Formats: sequence, C-alpha cells, structure tokens
Amino acid sequence: MEAFVTSWLATLPTFATPLLLASVGLIIAERAGVVSLAAEGYMAVGALAAAAVTLTTGQPGWGIALGVLAGAALALLFGIVAVVFRADQILAGLATVAAGLGITGVVGREYVHQTFEGVAPFDPGMLGTIPWIGPLLFGQDPLVYLALAVTVASWWAVFHTRFGLRLRAVGEDPATADVAGVDVQLHQLVAVALCGALCGLGGAYLSVAGSSVWVEGMVAGRGWIALSLVIFARWQPLRAVLGAALFGGVEALLPRLQAVGVDMPVYLGAMLPYALTIAVLIAAGVSRVGATAEPASLGLPYIRQDRR
Amino acid sequence: MTLSPSRRRLLATAVTLATTLLLPLSSASAEPFKLVGKPKIAFIYAASAKDGGWNESLDNARRVVEKEFGVKAAVAESIAEESSAVKNAIDLFVQRGFNIIVTTTYGYSDGVLEAAKKHPGVAFLAAAGTTNAANLESFYARTYEGWYLAGMAAAGVSTKKKLGVLGGFPVSVVNWDVNAFTRGAQAVDPATQAIVIYTNSWWDPVKEGQVAKAMLDQGADVIGNDLSSAGPFTAAEKAGKASVGFQLDMARHAPKGHVTSVVFRWEKHLVPTIRKIIAGTWTPSEYGAFPGMADGVVELTPLSAKVPAPVKAKIEDAKAKIIAGKLTPFDGPVLKQDGSTAVAAGASITDEALWSMDYLVKGSIGSMPATK
Repeated sequence: MEAFVTSWLATLPTFATPLLLASVGLIIAERAGVVSLAAEGYMAVGALAAAAVTLTTGQPGWGIALGVLAGAALALLFGIVAVVFRADQILAGLATVAAGLGITGVVGREYVHQTFEGVAPFDPGMLGTIPWIGPLLFGQDPLVYLALAVTVASWWAVFHTRFGLRLRAVGEDPATADVAGVDVQLHQLVAVALCGALCGLGGAYLSVAGSSVWVEGMVAGRGWIALSLVIFARWQPLRAVLGAALFGGVEALLPRLQAVGVDMPVYLGAMLPYALTIAVLIAAGVSRVGATAEPASLGLPYIRQDRR
Repeated sequence: MTLSPSRRRLLATAVTLATTLLLPLSSASAEPFKLVGKPKIAFIYAASAKDGGWNESLDNARRVVEKEFGVKAAVAESIAEESSAVKNAIDLFVQRGFNIIVTTTYGYSDGVLEAAKKHPGVAFLAAAGTTNAANLESFYARTYEGWYLAGMAAAGVSTKKKLGVLGGFPVSVVNWDVNAFTRGAQAVDPATQAIVIYTNSWWDPVKEGQVAKAMLDQGADVIGNDLSSAGPFTAAEKAGKASVGFQLDMARHAPKGHVTSVVFRWEKHLVPTIRKIIAGTWTPSEYGAFPGMADGVVELTPLSAKVPAPVKAKIEDAKAKIIAGKLTPFDGPVLKQDGSTAVAAGASITDEALWSMDYLVKGSIGSMPATK
C-alpha cells in the first residue's frame, strides 16, 4: 500500500504540471478581462518548438525557452486580433486553436517521432526514501518546481503589485481603469502574452520533460481542461494548484489501479477526466467561495467610444 | 480533436471485419479482374505518411512497390476518414488515369466500396478495410503470430516473469496481439504473467509513458507496446528495462532495452497482388486477404543479444512451425483469464473466433471491458 501510494504520488506532477501552468496563464489573461480559449493551441506550439529546438541543439533549456516564446507569439497574434482589433474573443480563440494545431502539423513533419534527451528528474537521494511523499516532493524534474514558483509569482503579481491591481481593474471595469489612466489594451496584451508564455511552458513540459518526443496532437485536450480549472480555482492562481493536483492525481491513479489488476471499465476511465471537469464546474457554480471572483468585464471587448 | 487513424482503424476494424467474415458480400465474383489502361498506382492516407506507425509502414511498402514496378506512385495524405472525402480523392485520381488505388484505413471502407462500384475498371486494395467487391479487396495481417514469438523473446529476457503490455482499445485486432504476447511468454515459462492496460488514448506519449511506468512500478520488466507511441519505450529505457515494439522497428526509441519489434512488410502482400492485377489473374477474395508470417507480411526484427540462445532456438523452431502451418498461437487448450475454456485441447482457433476475441488469456493481470 505504502509503495503503491508513494509511486502514485510521485507521478502526479507529470500530469498536473502542464495543467497548472496553462490554468495560471489563463487566470492572468482572464483577470485582465480576456477569454483566451486557445490554450490548447499555445500548448501545441510550445510543445513542438521545445522539441524541435532540443532535437536541433541538444539543449533542453533552449528548447523550453523557445517553447515559451512560441506560445507567447501565438498568443500575441490572438491578442492583436481580439484586443487591438476587438474581434469576438471566443471566435478568435477557437480560430487560434485551429491555427496552432495546424501550424504544428505542418512544421512538425521534420521532428515527429524522434526521441531525444529531455529534462531528467532530480535524484532525491536519501530524501526519496521518505515514505508516502519523498519522491513526490524531492524527485521531480526542475520544471515542476519552476511551475510552482511561477504560480506563486503570478499570485503575488496579480494580488500584491501595482501591475496586478491595474490588471484586475481592467478586467473588472475597463472604462473606469481607462479614466484612471490605465492603458487598457497594453495591459490586456501583456496579460495575453503571459498567458501564451505559460501555456507554451506547459506544452514544452509535455514534450521535453513528460515524454522526450513530439507527436501531433500530443496536448490531447489538456488546454481545454485547464480552461475549466480556471473556474474551479475562482481566478486564483494558488487554488489552481489544488485543481491541477486533483486532475493529475486521478489521471495518474487510473493506470496504476489497472496495473495491480483492479477490475475497472476502460471507457469509464477514459471518461473520468471530463466527468470530473463537469463535476468541478458544478461544484464551482454552486459553491459560494469566490462567488464574485469572476472578472466583471470578462470576454467583453473594450471600445473607448462606447463607454458610458 | 481527431482520432488517430491507427486507433480508429483498430477500434472498428475488428467489429466490422468480423461481420464481413460472417456475411460475405455477394458482389464479389469469381471472374478475374481486368485492369483498364496502363497501371498507375496511388496511395491514400488518413494521416501523415510519416506517422511513426501504421501509415508509415504502408508508405514504406509504397517505396518498394515503386521500385518493383519502376513507377512513381501518387500519394494523398491526411484525407479525412469520411466516405465523401475518400470518394473525392479517388475520383480525382481516376480522372488523372490512376487505376490501382491503395487505401489505408478502416474509416474508408464504405466510401471505397461506392467508388469501386462507380469505377469498375479500377482496382482497389484497402488496408484495414472491411468491404470487398469484384475490384476491391481489403487486407489485414495475422499480427498475433509475430506477437507470440515476441512474447517468447520477452520471457527470455524477463527475470521477474512479469510483462507489461499496452494496447489502444479493447478490440479483437489488439486483443489477439496482447494475448499472443502472453501465450508466447508462457510457452517459454508457464508461470509468466502479463499486466495488460488499454490506454484509450490517441496520441498522448506523456500518458502512455506513465502507463508503462505504472507497469514497471508493479514489477514488470519487459514492456510490450502495441501502440506506435514512443512514450512507453522511453519510459522503459529510462528505467533500464526492456521493450518490444510494433508496426515499425522501434529500436531507435530504446537503443539499449529494445528486444525486438513485430513489423509489417506490406510489400509482401502488395507486390504480388499488384503483379496479379497487371497480369489479369487477380480475383479478390470475398472475405478479404489475411496474410501472416508465412507470406512474410508479419516479421520480427533481429532479436536483441540479451535473448538467451536456448530461447532463440525455441523461437526459430516456433517460427518455422507457424510458417509451415503446424502451430498457431491459439492452439488449444486456450484458457481465459477466469479459467474458462476459449479453445478446447486439440482444437485450434478459427478466423471467426479471432475476429471476435473479446477476452484476455489466463495469466493476464488487467480487465477486459468488452465481456462485462
């Protein structure tokens, strides 16, 4: 039992980290009032860029950096369309998903199915022998710890800095923020780019740390699950850790139950993450926790001439 | 999100091929097919021809076909698995004078049948298809023969007598690979067990790698991967354990731990068939073609040096018997996971029973939802 739980918990971050990074990115964008459905697309370009650069240079560090940049670049493209030209955010977001997946399909032909040396987990040494949580806490790869640091930094930035205050003001009431002298579009663009960067990092995690290979479609719906985690987390980065751990925990548990011979229906298992998504959304809808957390102007393009 | 073609193929090939076997189409005639015009060959893929597995195995065969017949075959990639899409692609090829068309996925079956009726002078060869006609023959391979030998090799390198196998979906074409692998291992050491997990994933190397890791953590020391994903190979390699691949030679993903791969040699089916088509002696079977090791369509890549010599000899012996038709991986007695009899002692499995295989054999750890 102890060995089972220890090894299960040890693999939880592999599933949870990409979800965490993407949902924190989405929280930043949504705090600024921009719904960016394209997380799946940002993650896809991040995963490919990271794998391609790692394959070419042999340097996972450079790969991860380029993955972050690729995610941010695609997000900026979306930002220009949705924030500067005020296109419908939902439609622009969906188009960006298609663009991201399409680009990776074409560009990725050179790199598909080529394994490489990715980022290795730390050797926990003696600490790994701590029962239950040793490998979970000390045996992860550097990106897992980076993701947690980024999450805390995002929380700090959103709630405890002047930039974060402006960001939230833009998301709540852009007209008022505008009158107060906040550059609404600049803040939204920065938020969207940060969202893309974090999703790109999440994608890079998938290819460089999670599997050491790139294939088309390897994001496999994680971007969409991250979107629901934002609501679960009530737009609060620290709470996203909980949501990501919940999803990662379930994903990591299913194959392990099967491996010990627990009789479980395969299709039910495949359905579980999505059923969990629905349950989480219902729970978030019913719960009073952070009931007013949703940014008031979420998804509404701000046009100065139209303000009242 | 789209299903990967190889998974989609697996999902339903089984079901429908089984019905094809039971209900042969009356449209297939006994008259040899007459090709109209000079032979021009085209391949239609549902995904990238470089998908690292199924489509790539067919595309490799295309190169051999080109060399063999001294022609350049046309290729259409990523044609959606819809009747309308494949019919359009076929119409365009036929208009350009192509008259031997190879399609590569289950999802094309109905569209190809309609196209075959519309273009009676064109020959159609449908990999993983389920429809047959006077100018259309579907084909799949007896992959379980290779998996049986691979299971023997796995038992040879396993010290813990516990294997792990990943399958995509619990359909017969996957189930027979998984079961043959277990039975092959048990032919070397009857005490061998195999953890079986269906990943239900399309292309998710992160998840598939973690599934392999879960098996390794449970004591499996050889991972058989019925998917073309690299994830399980890298997971096994990182853990210093062995792995067995499928469809293509997967040694590149696990240079140290790779034991062998069960690979397709589709050219061994396509070249003679196309030769017959050109010669005017081709009569499509109303049941489709189902070649195996004897035809050279299923092969093993050279065994790792870690496989002990006595086991190697046993494998060579079993291989010769399979090719001679004296052995099948499912010669009775075949017991199901719960101990009930699937194939009685002294009997052997029928093709019909193969196509409807919905159980795991004794010694498997895992569950098979189809029987529930």
